[in-house]
Amino acid sequence: MIEIKNVTKKYGDKKALDNVSFTVNDGDIFAFIGHNGAGKTTLIKSIVGIHDFDEGEILINNISIKDNPVECKKLMAFVPDNPETYEHMKAIDYINFICDMYDVPKDVRRNNIEKYSKIFGMENKLNDTIDSFSHGMKQKVVLISALAHDPKILVMDEPFVGLDPKAVFEIKEILNEMVKEGKIVFYSTHILDVAEKLCSRVAIIKNGKLVKSGSMKEIKGDKSLENVFMELEG
Amino acid sequence: MKKIFSLLKACMTSDMNLFKVKSKKKSKQSNNLLVAFLLMLVFMFSIFSNVNNLFQKVAEYHLQSLLLVLFSFMTSLMVIIEGVYKTGPLIFNCRDDQLLLSLPIDRKLVLFVRIFKFYVFELIFNSLFMIPIMGAYILWADNINSTFYLTSIIMLFIMPIIPIIISCIIGLITSFLSSKFKFKNLTQILLSMIFLLGILFFTMNLESIFEYFKNNSNSISDIIKKIYYPSAVYLDLINEFNLFELIKFILVNIFIYVIGILILNKYYFKINSGLKRVVNNKKVNVKDIKIKQNSKNNSLIKKELNIFFKTPVFIVNAGFSLVLFIIMSIMLCIKFDGFMNTLGSMEGFIFLKDLLENNVPLIILLLVIMTSFMTSITSSLISLEGKNITLLKSLPLKTKDILLSKIYACLVLTTPVLFIGDIIMFIRFKIGIIPSIFILLLSVLLPLASHLIGIIINLKYPKLDFENSAEVVKQSMSSFISVMLGMLLLIINYVLVFITIDIFNYNIILFLIIIFYLLLDYILYLILIKKGVKRFNDLTI
Repeated sequence: MIEIKNVTKKYGDKKALDNVSFTVNDGDIFAFIGHNGAGKTTLIKSIVGIHDFDEGEILINNISIKDNPVECKKLMAFVPDNPETYEHMKAIDYINFICDMYDVPKDVRRNNIEKYSKIFGMENKLNDTIDSFSHGMKQKVVLISALAHDPKILVMDEPFVGLDPKAVFEIKEILNEMVKEGKIVFYSTHILDVAEKLCSRVAIIKNGKLVKSGSMKEIKGDKSLENVFMELEG
Repeated sequence: MKKIFSLLKACMTSDMNLFKVKSKKKSKQSNNLLVAFLLMLVFMFSIFSNVNNLFQKVAEYHLQSLLLVLFSFMTSLMVIIEGVYKTGPLIFNCRDDQLLLSLPIDRKLVLFVRIFKFYVFELIFNSLFMIPIMGAYILWADNINSTFYLTSIIMLFIMPIIPIIISCIIGLITSFLSSKFKFKNLTQILLSMIFLLGILFFTMNLESIFEYFKNNSNSISDIIKKIYYPSAVYLDLINEFNLFELIKFILVNIFIYVIGILILNKYYFKINSGLKRVVNNKKVNVKDIKIKQNSKNNSLIKKELNIFFKTPVFIVNAGFSLVLFIIMSIMLCIKFDGFMNTLGSMEGFIFLKDLLENNVPLIILLLVIMTSFMTSITSSLISLEGKNITLLKSLPLKTKDILLSKIYACLVLTTPVLFIGDIIMFIRFKIGIIPSIFILLLSVLLPLASHLIGIIINLKYPKLDFENSAEVVKQSMSSFISVMLGMLLLIINYVLVFITIDIFNYNIILFLIIIFYLLLDYILYLILIKKGVKRFNDLTI
């Protein structure tokens, strides 16, 4: 479970996050939406322990990210909007590096690397250096490395950007599989129709403030998520 | 014309911020600029003081103009080598490729602007050397006339043109090869090492070179005239000014610049687009790949070593002092008696000969000190993480472990090399067990201090947003300050050794230095895990 309690984050005088609170339960696919610069990435980076925040608390399975970041991070995998990797490494070396950081046993990592590299059509590319890859291929390497350590919580920032349609389809299948196992998927997106079909819960952020949060049904009612979002954006 | 200026303005402003460090306050930024300017002055002054001695020496033989031209030739060579590094990010693999090539402008214009930007960088680099060299020449020249100033100012601006065109063509060839065979790194490393060892050879053999100069001054000038046209013109113009020659020289350089752009234009875009293509044709199935498992610390160290070996400028920068240490160790073993005899024959140095002859372990120590503080490997390791700092922060790692892994990786690089050199000298000079153990211990403690200083400085002055690794390794504030601090420590160590050599037995000196560095390393370690960890956690990009 992710509990976000009254989180405020300031950049100078500007509040990037203003008293944001909501909870993400086990088994949720949670969509986090908002316009550009609304504070999505700031909150995501606070959840995964990249950014510090000024006020409030974030608990990952009842562990505070502020007090015990390493234990929290062990439960999570983060997929950034821009695939940041060690580009001079071979894809397999990078994935192995990430697995080492999560102490993934050899047999588990072999199974997962084989499984996910096949799903994303990367099984013949793992021996290539990442700097020779396209944006989408780099994103696939990041996804494989994130999934290879079987995270309980998958946090993603705009995960579908740059992926081909097959990869988007596959990632949706993987996410559904994960939540069936009681895991959490939390991601930010601008692709509202995909979020509407895929996610069980949603939160909408505007200028650093949470304007709506709840189950997808509660939030959209009879309307489409796009309509709700446009109304809130005013 | 308006397009050219807009394009130039956009390209120059994005690239000329060499000393930009992460700070939002304007006053802090201007302070950084001031520090950068002061460091440049210090650098130019150190060049001046070094070449000044040489001009003084050659003044006896009236060869000042020949030395000036020789230096201009060497500076041009350096511009070529330095330029080959820079062609990667400035000419090829530019980040703004997609943007510029999609605009409705002639491709030749894009290339012209890129080469012009490259020219400005190399003009600054060239001036850093040539201004102090010209200053020293003015001090020692037999006679200076007003045309010398005119010629030299024009030369300062014109001289980088041919080197940058040569660099671009070398860059074009290596880019072509790297797009096919991927050995651009090796080419760069070999070229740089050969060049650096060439400088070393030159400085180590100054005495004999001067003799050779004296005896062959006419043939040397002939050789320069034959191999490098701008130096020949410079020499002629200093000796006898000729306006027609000067105008001809300017026109020839402009002609070379234009021809260079035309030649590059023919192949540049084709090669440039090929650079980003996937070139690994050997398909390896995931089932055939060896999956390795390492501990967190080992994996972090491996990652650091991977960065090191995949960054040519980093290898050359860090590797040079280590290669030099091995060469000097072997040279000392072979030529020790000759070296001592030379020292003994020099007036005022006889006492030093006696002191050193009886304290060989201290000579080894001086070499270890020099190697440890000559370059700072860690001063760019935080910056080189760049945008990956976000990735590192998201992993379940203690910040302390991330920082220490960088130190360990550097020790893995330096310690074995130092141990090899040490052991070669222990065997040759039959050094006893106690001083040997002391020196081996110092071969860990001294580089450790250098690595800790480098990383602390880099945390203070990070440069996470950079265009190319050379910018971080060679031109950043962090590397400047770390090298300066290293030099200061080197001088302090040398002075302390020479002061105490007469008072204490070498074992006591070695022991005292061990105690000093144990304390210093411990203090630096505490700074790293307290302030450094906080600083790392606050880093954002």
